[in-house]
Amino acid sequence: MFGLMEADFLDDVRRMNKRQLYYQVLNFGMIVSSALMIWKGLMVVTGSESPIVVVLSGSMEPAFHRGDLLFLTNHREEPIRVGEIVVFKVEGRDIPIVHRVLKVHEKEDGTVRFLTKGDNNSRKKDVVGRARGFVPYVGIVTILMNDYPKFKYAILACLGLFVLLHRE
Amino acid sequence: MDKWKADDKPVKIDKWDGSAIKNALDDAAKKVMTDNFGFKEEHRLMDLRLLICTVAVGFSLFALVWDYIRPFPESRPILIICVLSYFMLMGVLTLYTTYMEQNIFLVAADKDKAGLEPDDKWELASTLKKYTHLYKLKMTFTNGKTGLCRSEEIERPVNNYFDEEGTLLFKLFEPEVRTLQGRIAAASKKE
Repeated sequence: MFGLMEADFLDDVRRMNKRQLYYQVLNFGMIVSSALMIWKGLMVVTGSESPIVVVLSGSMEPAFHRGDLLFLTNHREEPIRVGEIVVFKVEGRDIPIVHRVLKVHEKEDGTVRFLTKGDNNSRKKDVVGRARGFVPYVGIVTILMNDYPKFKYAILACLGLFVLLHRE
Repeated sequence: MDKWKADDKPVKIDKWDGSAIKNALDDAAKKVMTDNFGFKEEHRLMDLRLLICTVAVGFSLFALVWDYIRPFPESRPILIICVLSYFMLMGVLTLYTTYMEQNIFLVAADKDKAGLEPDDKWELASTLKKYTHLYKLKMTFTNGKTGLCRSEEIERPVNNYFDEEGTLLFKLFEPEVRTLQGRIAAASKKE
């Protein structure tokens, strides 16, 4: 503990008063909040609970490759039609699936079911959104992060510490 | 907790880090005003900034929690309110720091001994532009009774106050602040 007290890199923090310390924490909070609020804002605008997804499998090649970013919208007033690419969740799997719609069954009571490539019969409420645009390969970072979780936590911890300890 | 404080340790910084240099000099100037002259620091300017930030972070935390309790399509109206409020507050914060706070890092009151008249105010503001070595310190005095302001500034190369290793030479910096204060005090007495 005494060694920690003597460490030079903590001097900045040790010299701060209560207000400055609190501001450091707030500053960190605002960086996280800004990212979060941009994400929530996108959710509101697109109507999709996850407006940007990364393609994790190669099942949609050659249209999308592993690591492509997809932008989704999920507006109620625009029904999904055959030929569109949808992203949907399946119970028991954490990762959403990207597939093209082959058939749409609309019943009179309002329920809609989709047949997608891959033979997954999915219900309307499982649909996260439809693909509206994509950026190739940017999401490869996400795949790397997912494959090496320790690497991800190391980077996050370093960035967090830097923001907290470095004064303005 | 007393051990945690580093007040007695000489201030040593990375001399190539502009903001560290500015912070070190600001702290030193603040110390001269509060410790040597005994002026009392007032925190209102910073407290308001802290309040704005706290409310902003509060909105985002609330959005996070609400979206967790009531998953997305249901939480939409609350999310809209939170997102709009957050970005509005960020705008307010930018306006506040550029127009109200500017570069002021200390507001201190010279308490009237008898306690009858309003306190005199001392304000310190500083700038250290990127890629220059000139530290500009502006001191403003406001007479509590008459409301008259008087300000003066000095501009000095920062290398005057740090040694090779980046240790702050407080003994060299202190007289600069003292003379600046003395000049303003003398001039405003004449009025």
